[in-house]
This record gives sequence, C-alpha cells and structure tokens, in this order.
Amino acid sequence: MSRADAVAAPAPVAVPRYRRPGVAGAFTRRSPLGAIGAVIMLVVVVAGLAAPLVATHDPTRTDATQTFVPPGPRHWLGTDHLGRDIYSRLVHGARVSLAVGVACALLGGLGGGAVGLLSGLTGRRVDGIIQPVLDIMQGFPLLVLALVMTAALGPSIGTVVVAISVPFIPRVARVVRAVALGVRETTYVEAARALGAGGLRVALRHVFPNTVAPLVVMTTAQLGSAILVEASLSFLGLGIPEPYPSWGRMLAVSATEFAQRAPWLVIFPGLAISLVVFASNLFGDGLRDYLDPRLRI
Amino acid sequence: MMTQHASLRWIVSAALAGILAASSAWAAAPVPKSGGVLNAMHREDPPSLSIIEEATVSVNWGVMPCYNNLVMFDPAKSQETPQAIIGDLAEKWEWRDAGKTLAFTLHRGVRWHDGRPFSSADVKYTFDLIREAPGMSVKLRLNPRKLWYSQIQAIDTPDPATVIFRLKRPQPALLMMMASGYSPVYPAHIPPTELRTRCVGTGPYKLREYRPGELIEYVRNPDYFVKGRPYLDGIRFIIIKERGTRIAALQAGRLDIMMPQEGSKNAGEQLKKAVPSMIITLASHDINTNLLMNFKRAPFTDARVRRALSLAIDRRGFIQAVRQGAALMGASLMPRPWGAWGLGPSALAALPGNGDGAAQKTEARRLLAEAGFGPAKPLRVTLSTRGIALYVDMATYVIDQFKQVGVAATLDQVESAVWFAKLARGDYELGANQTGMGADDPDVTFYENYACGSQRNYSQYCNPEVDRMFDAQSQEPDQTKRQAMVAEIQKRLELDAARPIFAWDLDYFAMWPYVHGFVPHNNVYNNGRLQDVWMSK
Amino acid sequence: MRGFVAHRLGLAAVTLAGMSIVIFVLLRIAPGSIVDLLFSSAGYVDPAEKQQITHELLLDRPIPVQYAQWAGALLHGDLGKSYRYGLPAARLIGPRVPITVELAVMGMAVALLVGLPTGIVSATRQNTAADYGLRIFSLAGLSMPAFWLGMLIILMLVRVFGWIPPMLYVPVRENPGLHLMQFLFPALAVGYRSAALINRMTRSSMLEVLREDYVRTGRAKGLAGRVVVYRHALRNALLPVVTVVGTEFAFLIGGLVVTETVFNLPGVARFLVEAILWRDYPVVQNLVMLIAIVVVLSNLAVDLLYARLDPRVRYT
Repeated sequence: MSRADAVAAPAPVAVPRYRRPGVAGAFTRRSPLGAIGAVIMLVVVVAGLAAPLVATHDPTRTDATQTFVPPGPRHWLGTDHLGRDIYSRLVHGARVSLAVGVACALLGGLGGGAVGLLSGLTGRRVDGIIQPVLDIMQGFPLLVLALVMTAALGPSIGTVVVAISVPFIPRVARVVRAVALGVRETTYVEAARALGAGGLRVALRHVFPNTVAPLVVMTTAQLGSAILVEASLSFLGLGIPEPYPSWGRMLAVSATEFAQRAPWLVIFPGLAISLVVFASNLFGDGLRDYLDPRLRI
Repeated sequence: MMTQHASLRWIVSAALAGILAASSAWAAAPVPKSGGVLNAMHREDPPSLSIIEEATVSVNWGVMPCYNNLVMFDPAKSQETPQAIIGDLAEKWEWRDAGKTLAFTLHRGVRWHDGRPFSSADVKYTFDLIREAPGMSVKLRLNPRKLWYSQIQAIDTPDPATVIFRLKRPQPALLMMMASGYSPVYPAHIPPTELRTRCVGTGPYKLREYRPGELIEYVRNPDYFVKGRPYLDGIRFIIIKERGTRIAALQAGRLDIMMPQEGSKNAGEQLKKAVPSMIITLASHDINTNLLMNFKRAPFTDARVRRALSLAIDRRGFIQAVRQGAALMGASLMPRPWGAWGLGPSALAALPGNGDGAAQKTEARRLLAEAGFGPAKPLRVTLSTRGIALYVDMATYVIDQFKQVGVAATLDQVESAVWFAKLARGDYELGANQTGMGADDPDVTFYENYACGSQRNYSQYCNPEVDRMFDAQSQEPDQTKRQAMVAEIQKRLELDAARPIFAWDLDYFAMWPYVHGFVPHNNVYNNGRLQDVWMSK
Repeated sequence: MRGFVAHRLGLAAVTLAGMSIVIFVLLRIAPGSIVDLLFSSAGYVDPAEKQQITHELLLDRPIPVQYAQWAGALLHGDLGKSYRYGLPAARLIGPRVPITVELAVMGMAVALLVGLPTGIVSATRQNTAADYGLRIFSLAGLSMPAFWLGMLIILMLVRVFGWIPPMLYVPVRENPGLHLMQFLFPALAVGYRSAALINRMTRSSMLEVLREDYVRTGRAKGLAGRVVVYRHALRNALLPVVTVVGTEFAFLIGGLVVTETVFNLPGVARFLVEAILWRDYPVVQNLVMLIAIVVVLSNLAVDLLYARLDPRVRYT
C-alpha cells in the first residue's frame, strides 16, 4: 500500500438513502380524497367486525320503558320505537350491510369482469352467444329482478345477495367488454399480436390493465349500489328480514313513520348509508386514479 | 315519554274532548251547507268493490257511500250499541215470536242507481246469497261472513215493502250484524261478479269512476230516498299508497279527512302540531292484535306451555313499545268504555300478561319447567308474520319477551301472498296477527274466531264446552245475564290461551275543521256512508 | 351495416324470448298466487273455491302449456286480463306508460342538463375548489337511497311551505301548470342521481382524454384551449358516457319505482312492483316484456351510436 492510497481514500460520507414511498403513501399523495374514503371504509369495517365489542347494548333487545329516547349519555344515538339502541344497531348493521355490499360487489364485479373480458377478446362467435344472455340478464331492471327473485326465493339474506348481484353482472360485463373491444384495436396490441403473442398473453398483459380501472370503479360503485338497492328492497318490504339489523330497513321503516317525531331514527341510518356509499365511491375514484397506467410514469 | 298514568289521562281527556267536540259540533253547528267535493284519504286499492265478499276496511271505506243497509249504526254516535241502531232502508222493525222472527217495514220509492225500483225481493236475495240458502243458483266468489246469518231459517217477502226473517233460534245479535258496514243490500238484478268491478246501490252517492291505483270518485245521488241528503256534491277517495305521503297530504290540505285505522299516535300528534286547528278525535278500531298458536302442534297442545307463553308477554310493555301507548288492554271483546262487553279492570288484571310483568314471567318459567322445558332443554319456536312494519314490530317485541323466559323464538317473515295460505294449511307454529270485528258483539267475535271448525279460527282451537257457552249467550235475551256469560267466556278463552290478545288499537282520527257531520265510530268498518258530511269552506 | 343491424335484431328476438321464459318461470316459482291473495284479503280460505278459481285462471295447467297459451295470445296482441282487477291488462298498463316515460325523460333531461356541464367544469378545473365541491355534490347524489331523497323533499316542502305537489294525476292537456307542478319534484329526485353518475363519468372520461397524446399535440400546435376541449376531447370523452346513459335508462327504473311511490304518480314502474307483490302474472309478464323491448332496443341504439362515434370500432 502506497502512502498515496492511504491519503486518497475519502472518509465515508452519510448519503441519505432514497426510500421508495410505500403504497399507502403514494396512494394518499395521488388522491387525498380516496385516502379519506379508504379510512372511512376501514373504520366501518373494523366497527362491523368488532361489533359485539363496540356496541353498548344488545341490538335486538326491546325496552318498552326506553322508547324514542333522543341521543344522550345512556343511548349515544338514541333509541327507536321499540326501545332498541340505535348505535348498537348501526354497528351490528355495519356487518350486515357491508357483508351484503361486498358479496354483491365481488360477485358482480368478478363475474361481470370475467364475462366482459371473454366477450370482448374472443371472436365474434363466442361474443354472439354471450351477448344475448347478457341482454337477457340486463333487460330486467335491477330492482325488478331483485324483487322477483326475492319473491321467488323468499326474503333472506342469501336471496338478497344473489338478487342484487345478478343484475350487476351484465352491466359490468358491458362496460368491460366495450373497453376490451377498444383496446383490442389499438396499435400496440396489434403489434403484440404481430409479434406472435398469444390471446391470453395479450389479454393479461395489455387488455387487463386497461380494464382494471373501470372495473375497480364499477366494483366499488357496486358496493354502494348494493347497499342502496337493499334499502329500496326494504322500503318495498322485501329486504333483509329481521332479526338482522340492516341499515336499509332501519331507514325505510323510520322514514315513513317517525321522521318528524324522532328525526334521529332517520338521520343516523341515512348518514351511515350515505357515508359508506360516499366513501366507497371516493375510494374507488382514488383507486382508479392510482391505477391508471397512463399516469404511472 | 309519558308514564302509563299520564298517557291514560291523555287518552281519557282526549276522548272526552273528542266527545265534547263532536256533540257540540252537532248541537251548536251552523246549518249544513250543500256542495263541495270531499277529498278523502285512502291507502290502497280495495281488493274488489264487493263489500260482502271482502274483509278489510279498504273496501268499506271507499264503497259504503254507494250502498245502504237494512239498518245502520247512527253516524252521529261514536258508540255502536243496539240502542244506536237506526233504520237505513228499513223504516221500522220489530221482534216477534219470542225473538225468533224479525220483521222489517221498508221505505218506499227507493230506486237503484240504474233506475230500477228497490223492493223486499232485493233484501231476500242479498241474505239468501250470503247464507247460501238452498236453491240459490247464484253464488258469491268469496263469502267470509256466511256464518253471521247461519241462524236464518227462511226469509219471507209478503209484499214489496215487508221482509220477515224467521230464525232457527233467537239471536239478538242479528240486528247488530245487519247494522255493520259489511251488510249492504245488493241488487237482485245484477250478477255478483259484476259488483266486484262496479257498484250499483241505493246509496247517497253514485260511483262515477274508479281508476285503479288512483282514485274512487262519487257524485251525489239526486234521487236518494233520504230527502235533503247527501250534502256533498261528491267524494274523491284519493289512493296514496305511501304512508308518509298520505299524512303529509292531509297536513298540506290536499286531503280533507283521514281514513279510519290510519290515525297512529305519531300521525295524530304530528298533524296537531303542524295544524293546531286540525280536529283530532280518539276512537277505537275494534281491531286487536293477538298471538295465534297452532293447537294441532306440540307443544302447544300442552295448556301449561300456552299459558306460559301468554304470561311471558307483558301487555303494558307491548302497548308502549309497539303502539307508543295508543292501545288498550283487553280480552276478546273491545274494552270499555269503547265497547260494551269488555271486562272490568280487576277481572282483566287477573288474566295472563295483564298483571305485574316480572311476577308473570317467573310464573311462566315455572310452568315451562313443569312442562319439561328449561335452560337445559329450551323451548324453540318459530313465530311467523307478514312483512309489514306493524306485524314485524309485534313479532320483534314478542320474540324478545320470549327470550326473557328462556324461549328461543325465530322470526319467520313471509309475504302477504304466502301468509294466509300458511295459516289456512296450519303450516305454522306461532303467528303474530290482527283481528278486526265487523260489529262489537260476542256473536261476531266468538263464532268467527273461536268456534270449532270456523274458517277464521286459524289456531284451530276447539272446545265443545265453550262452543255450548257461545250458543247459550247467543240466545240470551236478558242483557245482564248475557253480559255475565260473555265475561265468563272471555276469561276462559284467555286462560286457555285460545288466542292471547295483546291490545286493542286506538285511532287518532284527524280531519280539517271545515269538515262537519262526521263522528269517528269505535269501529273502523261501519261508518263509511258519509251521507251527513258537509263542508263549510 | 345492414347485416349488422339484422343480426342484432335477430339477437334481440332471441333475447326477448329468453326473458319471457325467465320471468314466466320465476313468477311461478314464487310461493303464493293471486288465489292466495284473494282469499287473504277476505280473511279465510275455502279449498273448493280456491280450486275452482285456480282452474278458471288456468293456473293448474303445466307451466309449458300456460306459457304457450300466454305467448300465443301475446303474439296476437292480446295482453290478457289482470288477475287482480279483472280488467284488461292493456287498459291498466296503457295510461300508465306515458307517465313513467315522461318522468324518465324529464329525469334524464335534468341529469344531462346538470351532469354534463358540471362534469366538464370539474374536468377542466381539476383539483380546484369548484372540482371538489362538484364532486361532493355529485357523490351525495349517488349516496342517498332514492326513497330517502324523495321523502326528504316532501318533508321539507310540508314543513317549510305547508305544501306538497298534487296527489292526483292531471294530464298535461287538462292543466299544464298543475301537471308540471306534479312532475317537477319527482323529476328532480330521479334526475339528481343520474346527474351525479353522468357528472362522474363525464369528468373521468374527459380527464383521460385530456391527457391523450393528440390533445397534447393540439395544444402544442397552438390551438386555443377551448377548441381543444370541444372539438377533440369532448367528442371522444362522450363515448363511455353514451354507454352509461344507455345502460342507465334501465337502471333508472329502480329509482322510478320508489319515486313514483313516494310522490304518488300512477306510473308503470310502481304498478309493476305492485303486480309482482300481487302475483298478477299477466300484468307482470306483459310489462316486463315491454320493458325488455325498450331496453334491448336502447342497447342496440347505443351500440350503433357507439359504432358511429368511435371510428376504431367496426362490426362488419
């Protein structure tokens, strides 16, 4: 070792390491509203899962001496006409409403997405078979099909889930198919095909990422829609039956009878529904913004 | 929230105020004015326009203006007793043969709306039709009250203005049933099937138009046999299916008068608050809420189980929770002073569910243990009901009460389309139910709901000894003796838990102050003729 | 193009036939029938009478036989009789259809008039206060159950003005002012939700297009901003919106049902729901067929429009 080497070697300098921002951080930065939506959803989900711990009363316990109590220290959000604690019912209802909403959204979104991709990417013959089936399913207005199915299968939580999911599938499929059709004709897909890429590879590599965005938006919108449709079904008397506390039914029953006498009966379930639907839409928007491949430069 | 005592005071003072208002309105009223069209509330399409074939207030309120009865309950009196019966198509009547013959003298010069003359032949036709007399070639499609007239042996019509009913045995209640809104006289010259979709009567109003889902419209009958009536030019029953919208429409003045049975306490209080001049009158529906138990299924065959279930349900709590206090405790007949046959307070307090809640629940647990049910082997039951808010609330409360005595009940919510079929098939365990009375008379109540083999005896309760008691009170001419017999029967039915009664509902009937000549009755089915109603605007 | 249309029409016929079978079977699977309901309102059941009425209404025949009978009558233009009212179904459905159509059209008009401009504004002024405000407004519209919005409107009107819209239907020819009063608020209620959807779709679609290469090129070329927006971006952005409007029409019916119920409009949407609850098969079947025809045709129209507007998509 020469004396020059000993002198020339520099002392180690602390260089700040570049840290990739986490997914959550990136998401929040891209879409702060979406992050808010996600947080709200998280809170609701946790509340629903931990319902027995978070609730203050038994949601099905009636109490004739405590009817129509306004929000106060003992009953945080008041009681209803049967003396049941609204807060506890909302918290337990979160489970029910979310479970229904998520199940419907997943069933509808995944089912519709798969069908739409299939329809848009394969040849005209397959498309020709799928199209009329989709048209048949879609021809029934959502509420009407849900109603007939609930009538046919009897009002139960399972029936409501199936009844609400089925009309979603063709709607999702349609939009996904439209996007797939459009993407199929773009130059880069043609180029990929020219280079010999197989259909599945084209689908996964090129088409799928472009459909994810509308799919995600539609699925999160579906979550909200499912909750709203369940509320409408409850309004017509065919929603999730007792004893499951369902936000939709809480709102439907109070809105017609007790709105002026005990507004908290209407406000809180209505807020709960609106908040969750709102949040799921915000989250969906945020996800869409985040996942848009063109913006990920 | 008012205490029980305070709300009872509210009820009594409101009732008194109502009676006072009604009588003062009647006595000191300005001279009735002719003219105007009344916009009346209606909540749904009547299942058909044939009153005789249906059993819901949606038909009576909406079609009664078209018809007349033989006799009716005085519209001006809220209490429907035999003393309140006045003639409608009948000018006068008398009992003969120790109560086995009832002879009517009819008004003359009465015409049907299509111009044909009315006569005793129409009366004979109507009652022969209902009782399905031998030799009747015409038949009703639905006939829910056939047994009302099962004691009629024959009907004679010696001349066009006289009709004589000959009975198999005396039945003082017959007149009460004829006065009910369910007993109009039908035209003999029109097939009953036609009367399901159009109305040809002798009544104060002629049907002008029925637009399904929208409106039932009447115009005054210029040839009505009661001179000077009706005062109104017409009536519009505006059908609004959504409850909140109906009340809002009344509040905003689009409707002038409420529909009987629509006056929940909330609605009444809300209307009074929004429109202080609105006239709110308290009246009883003559409808009770009750529990059906399937007598053909174990363990409801065990009297201890039945009694325990009835004991478990605190009636006071029920009234507060499900009816917000606007209901009364009672047994199988409407309680006083609203009805004439109700049990007194001390007799009532001794019946299951009416006493001290906690003590009765303890007693219930004891009885269940005796019958073999307890924490180790809990009694599991299914409570079926319709998917309508009121019924669901009833069931919810009952299920919770059952939980408190260790009975695990599940709610089986069914659509209306399925409900009655289930009941009729006996395909249920427990049912939360509502029963209305066509008239406040023990014959109506007992024979329809508790007699062996009766079509509407859904629980299939059958006790031949009690059936004999029914027959005995039905023939008894002495009122005091009959009262005592009926009281005994009511106690017996409650102790047997034949059909545990929860409560008798009250109506907060509302109408705008410019509507006169309408006094709500303590029965929603019988005061729909509206021939004395007039408006001062 | 003509071959395409013929092909699609053929598909439409198949679709309609399929739908008719589905609804026919579903209805008959549902427990309870009109006969049960007739007796339910009378409060008792007489098995002999029940059997007779069932036989009269042909409900005791096997399902394929009933279907053949109905389909045959339908192809002859005979819509049958309502089980519930005993009146010809055509007479009940006929007057109700224009009411629902009018409500739907007015609702759509509100939706387009409100949704499109706000969507464009939101997109061109992304992430500004205006954008956030409009997004919250539109999300609120999507987050409220339709009947709640309707009830809120009525409650507000009654409490603040002591007034609600007329409860009896008045045709436009009789009294246009009253007619408009009756339809205005329900149309707003129906339109709010659709406006929200159109707003969001327009915004999202415009945003995507505004980032496209050809837009950047246009801007780089020096074209004025507005020209870029309207000539290039908007036309392409509207494509998905067209799809949504087309599908939304069928989606609309759910909102129409509850709005008609809350505002007491005697429309066909509400009538359909009631007919289902009353197991009034002829009415339900025929109405669903009618809706199916409308939906299938509107889907076809949307597809054709899409093919016109988007030069990339070809079906020949």
